[in-house]
Amino acid sequence: MAPGKKPDSKAKTNQGINARITFLQWALVFVMLLLAMKAVDIQIFQSSELTQKAEKEYIRQITVNGKRGDIVDRNMKKLCITIDTLSVAANPRMVVDASATAKKLAEILGVNRKKLQKNLESKKSFVWIKRKISPSESEKIKKYNFKGIFFKDDLIRFHPQKELAAQVTGITGSDGKGLEGIEFQYNKILNGESRRITIEKDAAGRYYSEEKDLRDKLKGDTIVLTIDSTIQFIAEKALEQAVTEHKAKSGMAIVMIPSTGEILAMAHAPAFNPNSFTDFERDRWRNRSVTDPFEPGSTMKVFVAAAAMELEIATPMSIFFCENGKYRVGRSTVHDTHEYEWLTLKQIIKYSSNIGAIKLSEIMGKKQLYNTLLSFGFGKESGIECPGDSPGLLSHYDRWSAIDTAAISFGQGISVSAVQLINAISAIANGGTLMRPRIIKEIKDSNGEIRQPFVPESIKRVISKSTAIKVKDMMRAVVEEGGTATQADLNGYSVCGKTGTAQKVSKSGGYSKSRYTALFAAFAPMENPELAVLVVVDEPPKSHYGGVVAAPAVKKIFSESFHYLKIPPDINTKTEHNQ
Amino acid sequence: MAQNKTKKDIHPFLNELAILFPVAILAGLGLIMIHSASASISFSEHGTAFHYVQKQLVFCALGFLVMFIAASVPYKILNPLAYIILVSAFIFLAAVKIPGLGVKAGGAYRWLKLGGMSFQPSEFTKLAMVIFLAYSLNKKQEQIHRFFVGFFPHLILLGLLSLLILSQPDLGSVVILGAITWGMMFVAGVRLLHLASLIPIIIPLVYFQVYKIPYRMERLFAYLYAWDDPQDTGYQITHSLKAFGSGGLFGKGIGLGMQKLHYLPEPHTDFILSIIGEELGLFGVLIILVLYGIILMRGARIAKEADTLFGTLTAAGLTIALALQVTINTGVTMGLLPTKGLTLPFLSYGGTSLLISMAGMGILMNIGSHKKS
Repeated sequence: MAPGKKPDSKAKTNQGINARITFLQWALVFVMLLLAMKAVDIQIFQSSELTQKAEKEYIRQITVNGKRGDIVDRNMKKLCITIDTLSVAANPRMVVDASATAKKLAEILGVNRKKLQKNLESKKSFVWIKRKISPSESEKIKKYNFKGIFFKDDLIRFHPQKELAAQVTGITGSDGKGLEGIEFQYNKILNGESRRITIEKDAAGRYYSEEKDLRDKLKGDTIVLTIDSTIQFIAEKALEQAVTEHKAKSGMAIVMIPSTGEILAMAHAPAFNPNSFTDFERDRWRNRSVTDPFEPGSTMKVFVAAAAMELEIATPMSIFFCENGKYRVGRSTVHDTHEYEWLTLKQIIKYSSNIGAIKLSEIMGKKQLYNTLLSFGFGKESGIECPGDSPGLLSHYDRWSAIDTAAISFGQGISVSAVQLINAISAIANGGTLMRPRIIKEIKDSNGEIRQPFVPESIKRVISKSTAIKVKDMMRAVVEEGGTATQADLNGYSVCGKTGTAQKVSKSGGYSKSRYTALFAAFAPMENPELAVLVVVDEPPKSHYGGVVAAPAVKKIFSESFHYLKIPPDINTKTEHNQ
Repeated sequence: MAQNKTKKDIHPFLNELAILFPVAILAGLGLIMIHSASASISFSEHGTAFHYVQKQLVFCALGFLVMFIAASVPYKILNPLAYIILVSAFIFLAAVKIPGLGVKAGGAYRWLKLGGMSFQPSEFTKLAMVIFLAYSLNKKQEQIHRFFVGFFPHLILLGLLSLLILSQPDLGSVVILGAITWGMMFVAGVRLLHLASLIPIIIPLVYFQVYKIPYRMERLFAYLYAWDDPQDTGYQITHSLKAFGSGGLFGKGIGLGMQKLHYLPEPHTDFILSIIGEELGLFGVLIILVLYGIILMRGARIAKEADTLFGTLTAAGLTIALALQVTINTGVTMGLLPTKGLTLPFLSYGGTSLLISMAGMGILMNIGSHKKS
């Protein structure tokens, strides 16, 4: 056990050993000093350079975009909102079993498995797996706790009321940019502020910052529409029913307050669900009431009649010879649906005589006709806040031939948008003032304070009040017994209107014998109209008269809207005692 | 004499405060820094931020117990046990090769699984080599200057152990083992000519080892040209340097470093010093170097004052082993040496490394209590 050393030699060797230990001690001191010097070098002299290099990796300057503002109806009912969602991404460097992970994720998310596996096996440090996933999807993924798979906050645009007013509000792409409608037109205001901030992130690309809170703070403004969700719903249902019942191609319906130009409903059929807009044809996305002009047919006659009275060419009782239903203009012959000899101006409107309208236009001349239509807002943009505000087509009277002038008087060779037409009808309804049609009530900031109010704007007085009253009286006759729109007669309310049944231009150039636009424009009650309603039904294959196809829908809209708005009846009718 | 007696009455564990205090401070700081460095990794791997720090806390408690026991047992008992210890080191190293016992981690078989506990035989081998060399060099002291007595047999032993460790593979441990052997032979009085003769042998050997195995090449190139390819081979070194550099003089503060957030691999083990550099700054790094310096200088003094040559050689060997581990790890993190895969004693996360280092310190303490009169 004892080391067994001889004491004599031990002292000597000990001396040598101690000297060698001392040598190693000095060597150690030398090495330690070297290390300390290196530490001083990198932590002091190279510090700023290394810090910069380090920060380059985890400090990012990013732009935080404010959360997109809401679009709401006039009663603050939400039409478009932005909600928080998650997107799922991966850091392939940290993924452990790419094949198994890809299999499970593909199952849960319904994405292509092979493509996903290839992504997960790549050498990148960040790949998207799926953007904007549903809560149930994220729950399932969280359960597996995959390595290298993580979530990122994301935002999704959502329409809680689905199809309702979808063409008006429009849609927003997955990048947060408005593509159609108000979403497109007011993209900047809805998007709100953006701010550049400095954030820190780890090697997996996860962010450590207050990005989400800031997004809420910078939230865009809220756009309050003049739309009333309930009336919009009423209009959409009535329109849908008309389109389905008559197997028509499509349809539009607008409800307007004549005195202010505010639009309460702007409905389109067929509808589309904006929450999955890519599943629908592009054609359904746009606000056709504003963008797609059509030939208005006989509805134009009320403006011709209004002009004739305003210019004191005729009174409602003036009589015109209607040529027994056949009238030659140049090389063409114009027909009436019924053969008339003499008709008063009032009857021309009531029975919708083409020849009567031509006679009026011949008296006033093409210049006066052109000026009248122009002053009612045709041939130029309506001024509504929707994108694609179409001016329609109203060529200059210099280029009109005799037959052009004649045709325009009963609504052929001219095209108008639905919003232009209902606005012009509203000008008659409100006593002669053309208002700017409006779809935006106000813009509020994210705290609910009004940032920009939109007030009624009158463009100009188009006709005198007395002329307006006379025109209204004629339009009332249209709905009354013997008129073209008796199906729009609503118990208790004095509905005034004008039908239109327009042949559509065929591909070969002339007018089609089978394709029509059936429409009915109306307002009620007669004295102080609360609402103006237009229903346009495109290509009903069988019955194509506006009074048959469109008028019942208008009546339905009036009836349900008046009930909802608690507007009392203004006339006594025979059916009163039946109730 | 009376003074000597009172000194002897104090337990060796408490007698060597120059070892106990620095070790305690380093181990305590280690716990804090392991938590700071591993919290994020621990959370993404285990779902809790405390996985590593909790395990290390257990190791720490065990480590101090081991250190206390080693300090209490008279060191001379190790002399006759030298062969047993050496043979068990061989057995452990061989056992790594047995399927079921050996555990593969990071492409190498370096771990032994014994009843739920993982254990690194190469760490134990370092301690075993110190004890055996102390035994052998002491026994052969008379003829230490003879090539075939004082030098060659130890070289053969080193060669055998190295072959086993290299097959794991673990070049870092071989380098340390070789350096321990060389250092202890130097201290024991082996002729300088014999010691110097190793240099022309080792250089081609290392060269061969490095160039034959691609990842070592990569590591070497990474070390030499780290900034040329910071994304791939130079990744660890450049991120370690960024950690040190962005720490500056006083650091960002504990827990506030960025490099541990999945930028710097192994932040709680091999590169814990980089995280200390980032969060505690140059100030923290220098304090750590000073703490190691105190232990090492005390170790050298114990070696010089030991009552037997076996004690002197054991103490010197333990001190050399610690010094190598500390300087090489520090050199690696600062980009002075190629990446090695060595831990920093007392600070790094890792049970075997901590327990073996603590045991070594305990033995050193006991030798310290046996001074020559």
